[in-house]
Amino acid sequence: MDKETLYQERLQRIEKAINLEPVDRIPIIYLGPAFSPRYMGMSLAQFCNDPEAAMNVTIAAMERLGDVDGLSSLVPVKFHIMLSSLWLSRVAVPGRDLPPDSLWQIREAEVMKVEDYDYIIEHGWQAFLGYYLPRIVDMAEFQEAMAWGMANVRRMVETFRQHGFVVVAGGATTIPFEYFSGGRSMERFFIDLYRIPDKVKAAMDVILPDLIQTGIMLSRGSGVPRVWVGGWRSASALVGRKIWDTFVFPYYLQMVNALAENDIISVLHFDQSWTRDLERFREFPAKKCILNPDGMTDVRKAKELLGDRMAIMGDVPASLFAAGTPDDIYNYVRDLVRDIGPTGLLLSSGCDIPVNAKPENVEAFVAAAHEYGVVH
Amino acid sequence: MSEQLVKAFVELDEGGVLKLVEQRIGAGEEPLVILEDCRQGMTEVGKLFEQGEYFISELIMAGEIFKQAMQFLLPKLAAGGPAARGRVVIGTVKGDIHDLGKNIVVTLLRAANYEVHDLGVDVPPERFVEVVKETDAKVLGMSGLLTISFDSMKRTVQALTEAGLRDKVKVMVGGGMTSADVCQYVGADAWGADAQAAVTLCNQWMEG
Repeated sequence: MDKETLYQERLQRIEKAINLEPVDRIPIIYLGPAFSPRYMGMSLAQFCNDPEAAMNVTIAAMERLGDVDGLSSLVPVKFHIMLSSLWLSRVAVPGRDLPPDSLWQIREAEVMKVEDYDYIIEHGWQAFLGYYLPRIVDMAEFQEAMAWGMANVRRMVETFRQHGFVVVAGGATTIPFEYFSGGRSMERFFIDLYRIPDKVKAAMDVILPDLIQTGIMLSRGSGVPRVWVGGWRSASALVGRKIWDTFVFPYYLQMVNALAENDIISVLHFDQSWTRDLERFREFPAKKCILNPDGMTDVRKAKELLGDRMAIMGDVPASLFAAGTPDDIYNYVRDLVRDIGPTGLLLSSGCDIPVNAKPENVEAFVAAAHEYGVVH
Repeated sequence: MSEQLVKAFVELDEGGVLKLVEQRIGAGEEPLVILEDCRQGMTEVGKLFEQGEYFISELIMAGEIFKQAMQFLLPKLAAGGPAARGRVVIGTVKGDIHDLGKNIVVTLLRAANYEVHDLGVDVPPERFVEVVKETDAKVLGMSGLLTISFDSMKRTVQALTEAGLRDKVKVMVGGGMTSADVCQYVGADAWGADAQAAVTLCNQWMEG
């Protein structure tokens, strides 16, 4: 089968899964930004600093793993620049701050100050970024990386296609809560939510439209009608009910709705446990998002509550890839297919496949997905 | 007055707690009694967390209020207050620089009257061993967000064994992706799914 035919077959399979329609095989979606270079013998320093090499090594890893359908999300800029942008934080970079083959890490610190909320309220998000980003990134590197990403993102999506792979999400955005939590550091930010709730909310309200626009712009730029919408600190397990109802869910709802109005599907990449509030997700427009939990959310409860509203993508835990055995992976995938599939499921890792995943476990994931995921 | 202070803690009423502490100090009340009420407030918040009524954000805010109250109380306490319930050595393991979860645990353990030796982040096995030996701590807590922390935890447990300390110290692990499987993999005695679990484990071990 030629690559374009293969691509079309995979794209249809993924679209059917998202639309909760029957599939011939449950789609297999790969996400292993740190695993790919480790698996293929490239340093993490090179992966970070050379997005072209990062793309090539991701494709090589996917090809080595065999018949996988797509890549969960594409990062068209230097990886650490993307992380700094989403977390409003400095990042320790391999080959610069860390040994060349070490994993990048967020340097969580209170870089954003309380008075920065006032700046945002007064001047807006774009002005704030111009004023804030020099605290966390080298601006020359940042601008060069962004320009490169904008100029190359469509070509990158096309390159994946030429190899037969579908890019599931072509850009990334999230709600104000996550940006502030990174910039302020989680502890200070959570205290802000109790001490100065009105100010935090006012700043959130100012920036939300910009963050929605970011999602739309990245989707248009990449040509992929799906974007990654992240959630990690805003998880139900981390914040009290009242805070979640005030500072978290209304923002996701507005974002998912606005993206849906623009024919963009939100890939809800939600780390940590969201079990407490799963029922609220019924308010998201049907078939306009994919829930991508990381193994900590009760995925069976998610299926029970949301199975008629959205597909689930996941959720083999990162810890199982690192510390488990191929048998553990086989059993996990088997149970997932039995309980969540066959419709409305995309088999994937929970969050990323980690850097120290055992290659035999990742290979077992793909093999198990083929063994159990074929629909008879 | 005690009930009021505990209630203000449970309601995360920072202003209310600080006002009550100040008033009671001003009225000449024994600082140790006030401190115990603050600890009781933290215990109640911990219980609500265990019951699924409160979440991490409430633990963090309660910890912050406790720290603020301590700033009033500590200078008034003769010789730093009552004897600690026990000594705990804690740190984020080698190769991992995330300290958020660990810091919450440190705050909660201190509020529960443990003497905590916080070694920070990226702590090599030999440093854990050295401080466990120096302090004669009964508990070692290791934290890690990333899956790469598992092997550092395992090496630290091996280093404790090699130093002849393994049967003298209980080892707990937590953070990020830790689980029962990970606990077994690294050779720890227990793992905690959240920060409050660290306090519960220490209490069990001290009573045992």
